[in-house]
Amino acid sequence: MSSRLRHHTTLSMRGGQLVGRRDFLRQVSALGLATGTVNWTDVLSASADELRSRGMACILLWMQGGPSQFETFSPLTGHQNGGETKAIGTNVAGIQIAEHMPHCAKVMEQLAIIRSMTSKEGNHQRATYFLHHGYLPLGGVQFPNLGANVAQQIGDATAELPSYVRIGNRLANAGGGGFLGVQYDPLVLRNATRPPENTKLLTSEGRYKRRLRLLDSMENSFAQHAGADIVADHRQLLRQASDMILSPQMEAFDISRESQSAHDDYGPGNFAAGCLMARRLVEQGVTFVEVVSNGWDTHQDNFERTATLAGQVDQPMAALVSDLQSRGMLEKTLVVWLGEFGRTPRINPRAGRDHFPKAFNAVVAGGGVRGGQVVGSTNAAGTQVVDRPVTVEDLFRTIYHTLSIDADHENDSRIGRPIKLVDGGVIVEELLS
Amino acid sequence: MRQTIFLMIVCCACAPALAKPLTKPSTTAVARRVDERLAAELFTEDTDLAPAASDEVFLRRVWLDIIGDVPSPEQTIAFVLDKSAKKRQRMVGELLDRSAYGQNWARYWRDVIFYRAADERSDIAKLAMEADLTKLLNENSPWDRIASKFITTRGDVLENGSTAIVMAQDGRTEETAAEVSRIFLGIQIQCAQCHDHPYDNWRREQFHELAAFFPRVGIRPVREVTKRSFTVVGQDNPSRRRPKDNSNRPHSEHFMPDLNNPEAKGTKMQPKFFLTGEDLPLGTTDAQRRQQLAQWLTDSEWFATAMVNRLWSELVGEGFYEPIDDIGPDREPTAPSAVKLLARKFRESGYDVKWLLKTICQTEAYGRASRPRPGLSDTPFIANVPHRLRSDQLFNAIHTALEVEEVAAQANDQQVFGIGLRNRPRRKFDDIFGYDPSIAREEVGLSIPQVLALMNSTRVNKLIVSRNSTTLKRMLGEVRDDEQLVVELYLRWLCRQPNDEEVARALDYRRSVGNRAQAFEDLQWSLLNSAEFQYRY
Repeated sequence: MSSRLRHHTTLSMRGGQLVGRRDFLRQVSALGLATGTVNWTDVLSASADELRSRGMACILLWMQGGPSQFETFSPLTGHQNGGETKAIGTNVAGIQIAEHMPHCAKVMEQLAIIRSMTSKEGNHQRATYFLHHGYLPLGGVQFPNLGANVAQQIGDATAELPSYVRIGNRLANAGGGGFLGVQYDPLVLRNATRPPENTKLLTSEGRYKRRLRLLDSMENSFAQHAGADIVADHRQLLRQASDMILSPQMEAFDISRESQSAHDDYGPGNFAAGCLMARRLVEQGVTFVEVVSNGWDTHQDNFERTATLAGQVDQPMAALVSDLQSRGMLEKTLVVWLGEFGRTPRINPRAGRDHFPKAFNAVVAGGGVRGGQVVGSTNAAGTQVVDRPVTVEDLFRTIYHTLSIDADHENDSRIGRPIKLVDGGVIVEELLS
Repeated sequence: MRQTIFLMIVCCACAPALAKPLTKPSTTAVARRVDERLAAELFTEDTDLAPAASDEVFLRRVWLDIIGDVPSPEQTIAFVLDKSAKKRQRMVGELLDRSAYGQNWARYWRDVIFYRAADERSDIAKLAMEADLTKLLNENSPWDRIASKFITTRGDVLENGSTAIVMAQDGRTEETAAEVSRIFLGIQIQCAQCHDHPYDNWRREQFHELAAFFPRVGIRPVREVTKRSFTVVGQDNPSRRRPKDNSNRPHSEHFMPDLNNPEAKGTKMQPKFFLTGEDLPLGTTDAQRRQQLAQWLTDSEWFATAMVNRLWSELVGEGFYEPIDDIGPDREPTAPSAVKLLARKFRESGYDVKWLLKTICQTEAYGRASRPRPGLSDTPFIANVPHRLRSDQLFNAIHTALEVEEVAAQANDQQVFGIGLRNRPRRKFDDIFGYDPSIAREEVGLSIPQVLALMNSTRVNKLIVSRNSTTLKRMLGEVRDDEQLVVELYLRWLCRQPNDEEVARALDYRRSVGNRAQAFEDLQWSLLNSAEFQYRY
């Protein structure tokens, strides 16, 4: 029973049967009364897991193209592969990061850097898929991605806003609800300076509501014969969509409501705006927000370009972590910095770095992760993981664990084969205090 | 008309004497026998069969099913007033002769293939696939010939549409094999990729023996000054570098990975077709491998069954086997003798796809009024079952109802990796409304972004209001009588006349609003946003 509560399905349309939130609660109470086994308090008091996961959220900062580890969180000093990039100290003794990340250096005590991420997938498309799903593409199986799984597992069914939001340009192969259904697809915003598409009323609210009433009455005829089940679903969906766009919570999508000092803290640019919006959304109960930074595929002019890109990401990322902390939200919000792979230690003749999945970085903060630490290491040349390799499955298992989600939970794929959230992998225990 | 029927009878009568292989089974007779078998297998005296659909419902249904669009008010009226007994059958024939038929189904198959793409960059192959398959379907090229083209394909993905399946799977050996089996045989053997199939009798070796028909297939980027594309290649002398299994570079043989030791080379697999056990020796050329597989595969009863089941499910709303792409010898269909008969006749027709569509459209099962999807314990096929319009159908229907032209494709669409493509209205629409046509239709509901895109987008709003030169503006000027205008709008959007209650409600609304243009804008908005408009029933 309680596992049903954990599901995000405010609208379940399986088998043409609509189970609305209220209907479901009514069913539960009726069942409880009938059998005498479940009382109202049982239904409302969730299991320990649920209590832990209540209010948990995740913000994924996605660096599309494959960010260079050397110019961000793992500068190589004293080796020619490091190039011209210098290392700087952080507020944690003994941890140095690249000079382009001065703001992150000041919140290092909150960050955990994994320097030993390793995979074999060096193709953008497949690696983007892999690092969003924890699975490689498998012909015919539509895996849900990380955000969709998190939304389904711990999304807040009572929220008027969607559980999963992605902010950024079209991101190929990043996936969505997959076989869990479209209700777990992300609500996508091209950028954070405008509200989501089609959510601003085109008529007065009065006329909009008048139209909704007309539409509702016009659905009767279809409802009476062929479309009884369809119209029931449709009416519920119209209500839900209208609730959303008329909801005061939509203000979460409006970052102009933030103070000038908040804007100053996050800094300029689209990525900064996205991070600020992510914080607002999580505050309003959105469970998973992905903010995308594009352009990290630096086959040429790596040093110049990563300096610029890091300049767009460093300040907002640090501001996000500090902001979450000062609002008391960091403990319940896991922030993950990630791209599809890293870049080659060898600098190519065009001053670029190429794809390198063998040893790359991920950074995590909040959500109970112990900050101020580095997990794993490579050799001095950056070419090999020499300590504590972390696979993509390990990372995904750890993310789910941090969010109090059972990574071995099995969903039914459409062809009747149960699929775990993650297949294999081991929790990276060092990350957890 | 009478003459045509007369000729048909004459032809049917003399055909056997001319050349036996050319004689196709009669669509009418086969449709009747399918209905008889359904009745024998599923129905009793007490079965509550839905009545035949009204002319209006039938017309909208066949239009959407065959050409992916809705009829205009004039066409609806003409059809309803037509007194001829064979008008339904004739309408099906007329629609199958339109070029929109090939276009509609080419788009359907495009979705079947590309919704399972391993890699979204394969999108660039969509236009060529759509164009080539449109042509093949309109020429009524037999289904086995079409399947063979996809299986034995080579060439530039911007020029040769039959590259679609290989391109969608990035040229990878195992994925390509899995999709060929799923799409043409309806059998999902890829679950046996890593372990013996949990529910079927397929063994892991059998999957990898199927994959062994494809190791020499690969994909190469084409980078020219004016063009960026990919080429599907089949190469018999791959480079000597150590073969990396399941890559998109050709290698001479397929190796089944060793599960306990993924780094090891694995077991070399001989090409062998899992349904019949027929095989080819190692070392066989790429062309021979794929040619042979195409022949064995299209000879299989599952090739015919998969197509019959898929089209039946699309048209009648429920499949004999469900899900439609997870069938096979270990699955139990509803009405086994009906599906067997239809599959056998489809094969006898020479895998004639138009023949199959005609036959299904002539069954009573197809022609019944629609009812909500039956539950597991209900009797199947007692009514037609509604489902949500595919993105292209909805896009066409909106354009037809509003009498607006689709913005044409730009000449340079194909050149820049689909960037121009993506900006076309149809593609943008597809991003919001598209769905994978192979998944169970009860799982294809509407979503919040879809609802909002029709209710509340400026793009749609500007077409439905009464302003400048919109259709509504024109109609408001031409049709002075409110009731007539209500009827006109119902015919345009729902392809039917409103009932008395609906007319009364609309007129009440019109009076309560006062402003005539506003009231009819609201009515048009409501028709567009109704579930009835967005479903085919």
